[in-house]
Amino acid sequence: MRNRLKVLRAERDWSQADLADRLDVSRQSVNAIETGKYDPSLPLAFKIAEIFGLPIEAIFFKDEAAQAAE
Amino acid sequence: MSDTAKHAARRYTRDMLLASGLYAVFVFAGASAIRYADPPQWAVIGIALAPLFPAMLMLRAYAVFVAAVDEFQRRMQSEAIMIAAGVVGFGSFAYGFLEEWAGFPHVPLIWVLPVLIAAWGVALCVIRLRYK
Repeated sequence: MRNRLKVLRAERDWSQADLADRLDVSRQSVNAIETGKYDPSLPLAFKIAEIFGLPIEAIFFKDEAAQAAE
Repeated sequence: MSDTAKHAARRYTRDMLLASGLYAVFVFAGASAIRYADPPQWAVIGIALAPLFPAMLMLRAYAVFVAAVDEFQRRMQSEAIMIAAGVVGFGSFAYGFLEEWAGFPHVPLIWVLPVLIAAWGVALCVIRLRYK
């Protein structure tokens, strides 16, 4: 699964640590999600979507969908 | 590190230090009692098993810590434990055959848990590097 976390974070001028604080997770966790090394659970994905004010599908994509969008 | 994780880490350090101190007391007091007081066999069994109590406190401290950290940290801990259990389980199984059939020197079972903890530590370092 891929995501737009890095872009969305940059748009708001948030560091990984800022986002981690908002999510109450470690900065390492945010980094792992951003780089696609870890797929968040559904509750955490909902929390991320809520923080960015977007639906989950606007943040997370299946690999093929992301490739098609590019 | 999030506030929750910081709190969990502080609590883990405190509980682990307390359990380690108790463990040292139980081991030294137990070894001295068996060596110098010549207690009956039933008491020796009790004294020999006593260090398990602080060891269980260590396990509890770890379980509380793992329950408090975020899901990604928990996943890394789980992977590290699984790798360590696999390495030590199969390693001790293989060494058991070598002891029985190839005359390798006997290694007491007391070493299994310390080696498991060491293997967990190494595995956790490797996993952290992989996710970096």
